[in-house]
Amino acid sequence: MKYAFFLGCIIPNRYPAIEIITKRILIDFGVDLLEMHGASCCPAPGVFGSLDLKTWLSLAARNISIAEELGVDIMTMCNGCYGSLKDANHLLKTNKELKEEINEVLADVDKEFKGSIEVMHQVEIFSDVIGIENIKNAIVKNLNLKVAAHYGCHFLKPSEIKMHGTAERPRMLDNLIEATGASSIQYKDKMMCCGFGGGVRTREIEVALDYTREKIINMKKAGAECMVNQCASCHLEFDRGQIEIKNTFGEEFRLPVLYYTQLLGLALGYKVKELGFQFHNIPVKLERMVE
Amino acid sequence: MNAKGNGRQIGVYICHCGTNIAGTVDVKDVALEAGKIKDVVVARDYKYMCSNPGQDLIKNDIKEKNLDAIVVAACSPKMHEPTYRKVLQESGLNPFLFEMANIREQCSWVHRDKEKATEKAIDLVKMAIVKVRQNEALEKIKAEVVQRILVIGGGIAGIQASLDLSDQGYEVVLVEKEQSIGGRMSQLNKTFPTLDCSACILTPKMVEVGQRENIILYSYAEVEEVSGYVGNFEVKIRKKARYVDEIMCNGCGLCEEKCPTKVISEYEEGMGKRKAIYRLFPQAVPNIPVIDADNCLYLTEGKCGVCKKICTADAIDYEQKDEIITEKVGAVIIATGYDTYDAILKEEYGYGIYNNVITGLQLERLIHPAGPTKGELKRPSDQGKIKRIAFVQCVGSRDERANKYCSRVCCMYAIKNAILIKERYPDIEIYIFYIDIRAFGKGYEEFYKRAQEEFGIKFIRGRVAEILEDPDTKNLIIRADDTLLNVIVEAEVDLAVLSVAIIPRKDSENLQKLFGLVTSPDGFLMEAHAKLRPVDTQVDGIFLAGCVQGPKDIPDTVAQAKAAASSALGLISKKTLELEPIVAVVEESLCRGCGDCADTCEFGAIELQRLNARIVAKVNKVLCKGCGACSVACCNGAIVVKNFRDTQTFEMIATALESQMTV
Repeated sequence: MKYAFFLGCIIPNRYPAIEIITKRILIDFGVDLLEMHGASCCPAPGVFGSLDLKTWLSLAARNISIAEELGVDIMTMCNGCYGSLKDANHLLKTNKELKEEINEVLADVDKEFKGSIEVMHQVEIFSDVIGIENIKNAIVKNLNLKVAAHYGCHFLKPSEIKMHGTAERPRMLDNLIEATGASSIQYKDKMMCCGFGGGVRTREIEVALDYTREKIINMKKAGAECMVNQCASCHLEFDRGQIEIKNTFGEEFRLPVLYYTQLLGLALGYKVKELGFQFHNIPVKLERMVE
Repeated sequence: MNAKGNGRQIGVYICHCGTNIAGTVDVKDVALEAGKIKDVVVARDYKYMCSNPGQDLIKNDIKEKNLDAIVVAACSPKMHEPTYRKVLQESGLNPFLFEMANIREQCSWVHRDKEKATEKAIDLVKMAIVKVRQNEALEKIKAEVVQRILVIGGGIAGIQASLDLSDQGYEVVLVEKEQSIGGRMSQLNKTFPTLDCSACILTPKMVEVGQRENIILYSYAEVEEVSGYVGNFEVKIRKKARYVDEIMCNGCGLCEEKCPTKVISEYEEGMGKRKAIYRLFPQAVPNIPVIDADNCLYLTEGKCGVCKKICTADAIDYEQKDEIITEKVGAVIIATGYDTYDAILKEEYGYGIYNNVITGLQLERLIHPAGPTKGELKRPSDQGKIKRIAFVQCVGSRDERANKYCSRVCCMYAIKNAILIKERYPDIEIYIFYIDIRAFGKGYEEFYKRAQEEFGIKFIRGRVAEILEDPDTKNLIIRADDTLLNVIVEAEVDLAVLSVAIIPRKDSENLQKLFGLVTSPDGFLMEAHAKLRPVDTQVDGIFLAGCVQGPKDIPDTVAQAKAAASSALGLISKKTLELEPIVAVVEESLCRGCGDCADTCEFGAIELQRLNARIVAKVNKVLCKGCGACSVACCNGAIVVKNFRDTQTFEMIATALESQMTV
């Protein structure tokens, strides 16, 4: 199994340990990740796509064409990258005129969008390619934890492109969490946005933080000991956001925030230092997690 | 007499259709150009050709100018061809020496550029002229009519249509898929806006259907095959094995009482149970149970056999097989009704996950005196008391992600059920979340007002975004946007009722194929004309009644059933029927008997037969629809459609191209 590894911006810049642990775990499971030389920002789906569809498409198509040259599907770690690349891939595959128009732009940089590959999210690789059973078999430590799963919007919507069969009651991340022995709890407004998306965090940070705060309250109310996400933006919003919530609203939650491969890494026996918790804004000091 | 053609004396008439045509086409210019063509004796334009003065204009010209062929350039022939054919007939001309050029639907309505539209209209008129030159005089084909009728579906529409036809003295074959007639209406508690009990007004009609000697009722049966043509259909009906002898059974109900197997009841919309041998409801017509072969212990495992042991009439017959019955009828009324939208598809409402989210039809059963709770309203999750209820409107209707259309009954049935609940349990608080309240029928708006003023039912204008469940109490939180107050509201209730859309029946696609019908974009069977032929279909002799044609309430359904019965009567009350003579004919000397035409024909109208030492094709002119597919398939040009001969068509094409060459 080989995939073109699309890094995105936030993880390599702010949480590089997540990039490392994701790569290490995938190698453990026999997945080969190829570097995408010259890849740029995805670019961000909400803001870019809303303001200038063609610029957004051209940049996304250029990124996709790099993987096409490698002849393999793309794997992303972030819902934003997944959203941008998957939506753009779908649009260009289904709209011939648009494809021609974008290819004229790409011709200037000697690239061409062919429409020959798929865009996958890291959780899809774990769930559909590696498989829950194989993950369960590899677990060395059963995590006895109550986890609040957060999917993030761009992974699920628009549902006719994302094709997970459901946009309201997905189970993919819950099943992956439960494969580690942890229990994925139900909480109010599980499908609500983290607050980051659509440029809200950039423009109106208080509105964004209000979302984040409400979600964290709902998670804690349902007994969550930590939250697990699958998106760089959501991760940042929940982790960094809790410091900002403290500064803005004077409330402190100290809910540990984990990216999925960090949780999985724990169950697979990686050391806390290898998982990069030391770089988080909110300490991940769950009794049961620390050896 | 002219030198060219057969020396026809043609009159050409250009209609203004008010400004419908004259607004976009220079009708004077068209008449002027038409007048220049060979054989055209007179060419005129007139404001409304279809009006009496317009028709008289043609009649006078036929008389005074000795015309023998007519072209009218106006609307679609679907609209007025019969009108003008009658004009010819009344003037002593054969009505088939006539052509219509459609310069409205196919020209003025679809173009804006007057100059180009006029050019096109001239072309269309010229083509009609060259065609009419070669038209032959034809005589209508006479066919015998089987003076009985098939009604498919025994809901209120089928029941009403059958009774009306039976009243007129005609024999009706009524086929019902379920084991009893009654349909959806039999499931309902009371009906809006008068609140009369559904069963009280329906059962007398059902009983009458059962008693009428000239209504042959096949219950637990489905139409499988149809052949023939208007006035002469032959249908094959599969009467499914019910494992109960219909003649022997006296409907005592003992078998149902003693049967040990309990199954979730479809009739109760999953809210109650039934036995493996069962009737839908006590007033069933016919009052004969059916054994559910999938769940009967005897039929699945060879055990039990209690029903057979206790039946005093010896009516249980485990060996019964499906039976195929053939019936001949002159016309068919399709009244197969509707299904309801599967609320599971609206994931955000949690139907199928949260026990206290139910559909409108389930509520009907819950508050029905003969329903699973004998009309007592209890919370499905714990059979507890209900304090607050929310109705969620437009579930699957008026929704870009489901069905775009309005289901027309949901506003009223929600209000009706809300009032019924309030009458019995005045302390229950009721909210109705709606987009718009559509109270369009007689007495409906008044009913809506009563709900607000007399019963204090609260109407909140806003589509429900989602329904959440409190995992501890199983209470539901309805989250919606109140568009009148411009606030987000969250209401905690014990029960949420989803007003689900009316959708086409799953098997209506089979019927559509069986009868060669068309569906409209919403998936319902399509009427021949939205306004003027609302119960007819594109296929002669097939009529529609009730929700099979689109969502409607009981009054509209009954009205449509009566209309369908009356239209069908117009057809089967005649002993013979006149059919279009524009059919295929075989030039036997050219036919090589290959059978390509017969293979192409969708209507089974062509057969090969022996002619002396040869095999040649022969057309059954009653079955032939004149589509011309055979003519295209024939490599010898031996089979042609009358008045659509190759020579005519080629000349029309040449005429059309002629003007293109000059541009």
